[in-house]
Amino acid sequence: MMRTRSMTRVSTTIMVPPPHAQAYLSAEELADAAGIHRTTLLRLVHYGLVETAEPGGTVFAAAAAARLKRMLRLHADLDLDLTGAAIIVDLMERLERLETELAQFRGTR
Amino acid sequence: MDWTPPPGSGGATPGSRPGGQGGGEWQDLGDFSDFFASLFGQGTGRRARAGNGAGDGVRFSMPGHDVEAELPVRLEELMRGGRQRITLEGGRSLDVDIPVGIRDGTMLRLASQGGRGTNGGAPGDLFLHLRMIPHPRYRVAGDDLEMDLPLWPWQAVLGATVKIDTPDGAVNLKVPPGTQSEGRLRLRGRGLPRSDGSRGDLYAVVRIVVPKSPTPAEREAYESLMRGAAKPADRPAEE
Repeated sequence: MMRTRSMTRVSTTIMVPPPHAQAYLSAEELADAAGIHRTTLLRLVHYGLVETAEPGGTVFAAAAAARLKRMLRLHADLDLDLTGAAIIVDLMERLERLETELAQFRGTR
Repeated sequence: MDWTPPPGSGGATPGSRPGGQGGGEWQDLGDFSDFFASLFGQGTGRRARAGNGAGDGVRFSMPGHDVEAELPVRLEELMRGGRQRITLEGGRSLDVDIPVGIRDGTMLRLASQGGRGTNGGAPGDLFLHLRMIPHPRYRVAGDDLEMDLPLWPWQAVLGATVKIDTPDGAVNLKVPPGTQSEGRLRLRGRGLPRSDGSRGDLYAVVRIVVPKSPTPAEREAYESLMRGAAKPADRPAEE
C-alpha cells in the first residue's frame, strides 16, 4: 500500500481534463460568469433583460451568458444604460443571424 | 442620454472611461471598438490583444475577451455527444466534450478559455456556436429526425416490411397497406436525445416511386390495373 502510494507520487503526470463545456448555467454560475451579484441578476431577469432557458425556469442557456457579458461590457465601455445595451445586443444578434443565413444562402446557390 | 462616439470612428472621450488615469493610454480601445467592428462587419482584429500594461502609470487589471467561434458538428455528435478537438485562432487547440442534448444553434460556454486577462485580470470565456453539418439522409426537426422512405406503388398499396437504416442501425419497418405519399411513419424514440435522457422520434416520410421505364410485363400489369381500378370522382378526369 505504502509502496504504491510513493510510486504514484513519483510517476504522476498531470493530465489536464478538457474544460467543461456548458450548454446551461444556473443563476449562480451565470452571475459568477458575468461578475455580478446574484440579486443584480435576478433584477435583470425581472426586467426581462436576461431570460431563462425556458419561461419560468431556473437555468440559463450559455447564449444568455454571452449576451449578458456583452451587455455589461457595452454598459461599462460606452456608458449605456442596460436597456440601451440590451437593444444593441439584440441588434447585434439579429445581424449575426442574418449574416449566417446569408452565408448559408450563398453557399447553397 | 449622451452618446459617446466609439473610438476608431473618431472622438473618444477618455473622461468616460473607468480607471482612466493612465495618461490617455487606452490599451483596450481595440476591444472597445470590437463591438462596432462586429456590428459593421469590418472584421478588424477580434483577436485577443495582449495589453502592454499601463506602463509607468497606474496599473489596472482588465478581464480578458470573450471569444466566440463556430463549431461545426455532425449528426453523430448530436446523437451521442463526444469529444472533439478544436483549434482556435492563434493555433491553440482544445478538447471539447460535447454534451448530449444539444442542437444546431446551441451555444456552449467554456469558462476561462477565452482571451487572457491583462495584469492579472480574469481570462474571458470561450463561446462556441454549434452548427450542424447537414446530413445526407436525416433532417432535424426539433427533437425529431426525418428521412425519406422511397416505396414502390405496390408496397404502398399492399403493405410491406422494409429494412431501413436509422442512426441506431438497421431496423425493420412495417409499412401498413394503403400508405399514402407524404405519409409519416413514426419510429418512436429513435430521434435526437434530450438532456433529460428521453429521445425524440424518427419519421420515415413516404415517397412513392414509380418505375421510369417499365418492363413489358410491368406495363401489362399497370394497364390491367388501369382497366380494373375504381375511378374516384375527386380525381381529374382523363381526356
